[in-house]
Amino acid sequence: MNRPAILVQDVTVRFRQYSDKKPTLRRSLARMRLRESGFVEALTDVSFQVARGEAFGIIGPNGAGKSTLLRCLAGTLRPNSGKVVVNGRTSTLLQLGVGFNPELSGRRNIYLGGLANGMRKREIDELFDEIVAYAELEDAINRPVKTYSSGMFSRLAFSVSMHLEPDVLLLDEVLAVGDKGFRDKSMASMQEVLARSGTIVFVSHSLQSVSEFCDRALWLERGRVKMVGPADEVVDAYRGLTSSTGK
Amino acid sequence: MTLSTPASVYYARRLRAYLSDLWERREFIWFLAVGNFQARNASTALGLFWWVLNPILLSFVYFVVFGLIFTSGRDILYLMSGMFVFHFTSQSLTGGANSVLNNVKLLANLRFPRIILPIANLLESAMGFVVSLGLVVILALAMKGHVPDVKFLLLIAAIPLQFYFNLGLGCITGRLAVPFRDVNNFIPYFNRIWLYLSPIIWPLTFLDRTPMLKALQPFNPLYSVISVYRSALLGYTLDPLDLLAFAGWALAIGTIGIGVFIKYEGNIVRHL
Repeated sequence: MNRPAILVQDVTVRFRQYSDKKPTLRRSLARMRLRESGFVEALTDVSFQVARGEAFGIIGPNGAGKSTLLRCLAGTLRPNSGKVVVNGRTSTLLQLGVGFNPELSGRRNIYLGGLANGMRKREIDELFDEIVAYAELEDAINRPVKTYSSGMFSRLAFSVSMHLEPDVLLLDEVLAVGDKGFRDKSMASMQEVLARSGTIVFVSHSLQSVSEFCDRALWLERGRVKMVGPADEVVDAYRGLTSSTGK
Repeated sequence: MTLSTPASVYYARRLRAYLSDLWERREFIWFLAVGNFQARNASTALGLFWWVLNPILLSFVYFVVFGLIFTSGRDILYLMSGMFVFHFTSQSLTGGANSVLNNVKLLANLRFPRIILPIANLLESAMGFVVSLGLVVILALAMKGHVPDVKFLLLIAAIPLQFYFNLGLGCITGRLAVPFRDVNNFIPYFNRIWLYLSPIIWPLTFLDRTPMLKALQPFNPLYSVISVYRSALLGYTLDPLDLLAFAGWALAIGTIGIGVFIKYEGNIVRHL
């Protein structure tokens, strides 16, 4: 049980640089002569660990590489070098409604979303009523999802993800879904995940929710780890820096 | 690689893990295919009927145009059988590319064997294809009194083989379209040429008058594919060589396409 839930070691991710200029032959040759790689590093030598049962926050300015890091954890992006190990069933909420088809009913989309996340049909059959009740969509479940309000849509997506019973839950800025009542409910569900020693990794711009909710936090700056430690300290340091530079 | 396992063993293991992962996800593939099928219906008034209507209308157009020039144009069954078989394959080229390009959200967020996307897409068009074959059988019975004979059983091999062939093609365009979106622009032109070079709108006797076209046919997989289908559906004499060529093309193209796709699928997200 000493195995960390998440282990990230010296992870580097490079992307091809996009530019408005067309890659003409002349520019390509010029680039070769200048030994420019034409790549940008989104993450550079990032290392950290997350223990089981921990709520871990990731903060940093836009473009710091937070989403890229989450994609590495989700396993959809293979780093150019380094190691990512995630132990247990992972559920990702990087974007809401992944795998949903707006033309289809809420009922159909619960199945699509669940199956996309690696559930079995049988499991979804069993959890179906619960998922619908949690999302508070009993009346609308047979309507096409494109007729849903954005709040309804978010609730449905969030409900599907929470019912995967994940060991590791990856969240990207989605806590702010629905009304106050639903936010409280989702907060309670996440506490539940933590209580059964699940792990939550949580990317947010809301420093307050990170310091309130997370045990530890990571501060990313231009793809590098600036600081890892207790959430309060990291948030305070981040706050101090950003306010002093007037950002 | 110096550790312990030879590369071949390593890749064989990886492939096995991949395939068992794929098998685990079979329900997802099915729901994806049926879901897309239903979604397409939902947005048009005629819905499901378009799968049959599309090829019928297309056949009708060619019948009107080519019926006046070529004698084969007047044999609607010859035309339709060729057109439907061609359609199934040509659709897989665009479908394969779109199945990857239209599912960026899924690819970026979730981990699953990427080949699920072209497979689900192909399953979806296979449903329409089977419906259209039924139409040919019914018309053959109504117009010519042709009752399906023992050659009808060829379909048991032909449909899976063409599926495998199409999957290979869809995988190739799907993977190519990720770094080179231009691929999608070329496909319609490629399909148009392929249609004119295949025995669909011109009669087989046309080959004797155009040696160039005849010389090309051994390199056209659809020549043998369409011939086998016509034997099965319309009772044309079966040339065993056609069946052999069909199987050969399918196994070769299918295996190459699928292999390339699996090998390079890890980089897809980087390009999206």
